[in-house]
Amino acid sequence: MESYKIEQHKFDVIVVGAGGAGLRATFGLAEKGLKVACVTKVFPTRSHTVAAQGGIAAALGNMGEDDWRFHFYDTVKGGDWLGDQDAIEYMCREAIPSIYELDHYGVPFSRTGEGRIYQRPFGGMTTHYGKGTAQRTCAAADRTGHAMLHTLYQQALAHDASFFVEYFAIDLIFDDEGSCRGVLALDMSEGGLHLFRAQAVVLATGGYGRAYFSATSAHTCTGDGGGMVLRAGLALQDLEFVQFHPTGIYGAGCLITEGVRGEGGYLTNADGERFMERYAPSAKDLASRDVVSRAITIEIREGRGVGEHKDHAFLNLMHLGPEVIHERLPGIAESARIFAGVDVTREPIPILPTVHYNMGGIPTNYHGEVVQKKGNDVDAVVPGLFAIGEAACVSVHGGNRLGSNSLLDLVVFGRAVANRCAELIKPGMTQRDLPSHALDKALERFDGLRHADGELPTAKIRLDMQRIMQSDAAVFRTGGTLKEGCARIDAAHASFKDVHVSDRSLVWNSDLIETLELANLLDQAVGTMYSAEQRTESRGAHAREDFPERDDALWMQHTLVKVDEQGTPSFDYRPVHMFTLTDEVEVVPPKKRVY
Amino acid sequence: MAEFSLPKNSRVRQGRHFPALDAKKPRTFRVYRWNPDDAQSNPRIDSYEVDLTGCGPMVLDALLKIKNEIDPTLTLRRSCREGICGSCAMNIDGTNTLACICAIDKIATGDVKIYPLPHMPVVKDLVPDLTHFYAQFASIKPWLRTQSTAPDTERLQSPEDRKKLDGLYECILCACCSTSCPSYWWNGDRYLGPAILLQAYRWIVDSRDEDTGARLDDLEDPFKLYRCHTIMNCARTCPKGLNPARAIAEIKKLMMARRF
Amino acid sequence: MSAQDFRHPLKRARGLGSAQSGLGYWWSQRVTAAVLVVLGLWFVAMVLSLLHIDFATARAMVAKPWNALFLILFVVTAFWHVTLGLHVVIEDYVHTRWREVVLRMVVTFLAVLGALAGVLAVLRIVLRA
Repeated sequence: MESYKIEQHKFDVIVVGAGGAGLRATFGLAEKGLKVACVTKVFPTRSHTVAAQGGIAAALGNMGEDDWRFHFYDTVKGGDWLGDQDAIEYMCREAIPSIYELDHYGVPFSRTGEGRIYQRPFGGMTTHYGKGTAQRTCAAADRTGHAMLHTLYQQALAHDASFFVEYFAIDLIFDDEGSCRGVLALDMSEGGLHLFRAQAVVLATGGYGRAYFSATSAHTCTGDGGGMVLRAGLALQDLEFVQFHPTGIYGAGCLITEGVRGEGGYLTNADGERFMERYAPSAKDLASRDVVSRAITIEIREGRGVGEHKDHAFLNLMHLGPEVIHERLPGIAESARIFAGVDVTREPIPILPTVHYNMGGIPTNYHGEVVQKKGNDVDAVVPGLFAIGEAACVSVHGGNRLGSNSLLDLVVFGRAVANRCAELIKPGMTQRDLPSHALDKALERFDGLRHADGELPTAKIRLDMQRIMQSDAAVFRTGGTLKEGCARIDAAHASFKDVHVSDRSLVWNSDLIETLELANLLDQAVGTMYSAEQRTESRGAHAREDFPERDDALWMQHTLVKVDEQGTPSFDYRPVHMFTLTDEVEVVPPKKRVY
Repeated sequence: MAEFSLPKNSRVRQGRHFPALDAKKPRTFRVYRWNPDDAQSNPRIDSYEVDLTGCGPMVLDALLKIKNEIDPTLTLRRSCREGICGSCAMNIDGTNTLACICAIDKIATGDVKIYPLPHMPVVKDLVPDLTHFYAQFASIKPWLRTQSTAPDTERLQSPEDRKKLDGLYECILCACCSTSCPSYWWNGDRYLGPAILLQAYRWIVDSRDEDTGARLDDLEDPFKLYRCHTIMNCARTCPKGLNPARAIAEIKKLMMARRF
Repeated sequence: MSAQDFRHPLKRARGLGSAQSGLGYWWSQRVTAAVLVVLGLWFVAMVLSLLHIDFATARAMVAKPWNALFLILFVVTAFWHVTLGLHVVIEDYVHTRWREVVLRMVVTFLAVLGALAGVLAVLRIVLRA
């Protein structure tokens, strides 16, 4: 093995990833007087939070009656009772101050006539426990994620936070006691290795949407945090729950916000029928995403799809009028024109359910501390390791995330992690030396991939994996195809041993970076396929045709999956938290989920 | 004196050619290549024939097809592929734009020529070094600056005042405009350039911000602001359809307004 | 940006800070331009009216108080405008400090010289009339 020169850095806390969650944590930690650095593989404003459109939920009640308890109920129900109710309570209550904070940071929210933050209806968001429609989703036109991400980066600048931009995190570094002590990263612009030592590492690395062929996710959504955690021998949680967004642009896969339906848009099939009325008589087009995605899939399957191949559906917003579209949905109009060649004031947008979000991820408690099951302790904290945002599974979204709850998840838990670290960590505390072998495994793996000289180019293996996931872990799943999918994804994982990296240079070796990303994707793809195969029920986004009902007696529990170096998964389970933090709100007991 | 000759090692030479065999719908992409590892060698133009059947409609799709199927060493930044993250800004067919929203068939017949953003130091291939651009962004202190105590709820803002931010807050910091501006080419070390001035104006007109005077003070400089000679390349090239030149003109008007 | 430059990018971006000027320069350039449009039209008209008349009549025309006044104004404004414009051109394109300073001084000096010469010429005509 080549001997690598490694530059060392010492901080109190290292945040990996500079999306919404990573940035909120970074300047939150800086605010608390901790020495913090944010390590990110893309410049912060390129992170995928930027693509969020519709908005961020909080029961402000600016546009009609609302209460955070209604939000709590909706989130529990939306997640099909797989969400941890203590964490959901925390998120929904903290939503309100978090949004005001965002306004004070300067997020350019759209406004009501009274000068307050504009809020729109969104799927699954109701008042009085399902009776009315809530206007809860705070929006900056249809560019809320963009407005938020830029504002959060600006706040990080205001707090003089340190950034290491275009540094790719390779592996987490643990000591022999199992505490996370830092992260090894590659400086893409110079090609040097850097060891960031810290009292704590916060993973804010996002989801792994790119494990699928067609996803609304950016090319950079490769679940690097989840990959590192699996390689560290820790378990990920609930990977089988992959959200399909009902309205990705047919062909291109770009997102069309649920806000379109919030503003009054609706779906039609080949007969021009508003078919959602059949599937969700009361919520109609504003049912939760898993419900709408399944409805579209059934329509297509039963021959009522639109287009030459009858393989998609239409999203109509012509009736809203150019004025509303221009004011509230300008970005959508632009995307539809560019990617579908459609003038939304005259024609419907062709759409198809598209992979959008990973409800699963690194298991944490509501402080953002990573937890594992150790013996009888189902909430055992991994010292020094935190996870937030899409990378994490708190789990507030349970089996299915409600639209506009993810931006909320980012800021609430980004903030929570900063608060928790401030309690646990003393600034500038001396850090024990690392054992001499701490880096060996990570370096060996890195060196192996840097010189990988097999037969298969990275892109080929990636495409195989994406096609397998797309066909066998789709909106509807069934035992037979899942079994097949497991075998095929095993083969794809095994083929990675034969990967070939063509670029041998040091500076900006994107071929190597994509290979490191692929390794992260493959482990999680295996975890997802096998988790889906073993969960023999239908819950939230996980719809099994051979087990169409939810089975609370057997399956009201989180799946924990580990994937070893050979790609072999192993399973364990954690109970769902059926308790709340305070007596301000009562546990919602499971019942049938209808919209 | 002004530099009229190219620095050493910057003359671009002809590179490799990758033909596409049996292509049904071939199109040639001529791409700027430079690898700092061979610092001695000049940049080159590699030409790739891409079969557009089975390729997405955008230039980014073609570049990724090249990277995935022909030459994995081709290096570029990309992320969202929907025109919102600003990663894949580059010069395509003579115009700065985002590769992900630039349709191949909109480019007039002939080869598609692709270069990195002009007048930026090149890190590798199509990846420019934007460090100075980002530092300039930080230098204008682009965050809400207030002195009054924050209310318990939001700071109120009328829809009319909010409307003033439209056409400004949508900026994605892709640097297409700044790197298309001759004034920024010649004096980019001191001139803030259209993107950063647009960002500065975004905070100047925000009705919630209480530091307008200091913001104008910071800009009142023959180089930071007044290098804008209304060449208008910025407005012409902006892939998001924004008009930085207008924002700069508004700043100049405010500079006047506070004198009279 | 050479490899020897260890300054933080923010230090480089901030440079020497704001000079708190530039507005006057920019505004003067606009005002002189506007004035020149009007005076320029007047000047062209006057020159055209001088065609095909004898020297003495032409001199007498120039010596008329309003004509002399506008002529002086035109000469001064023109040289002022030229100076402002050339300064901007020099700042744009000349990046060697000493050359920039020298060129600016030369331009200013020549412009003052030209303006003075023009004014003197008009005055001479007026006083001898």
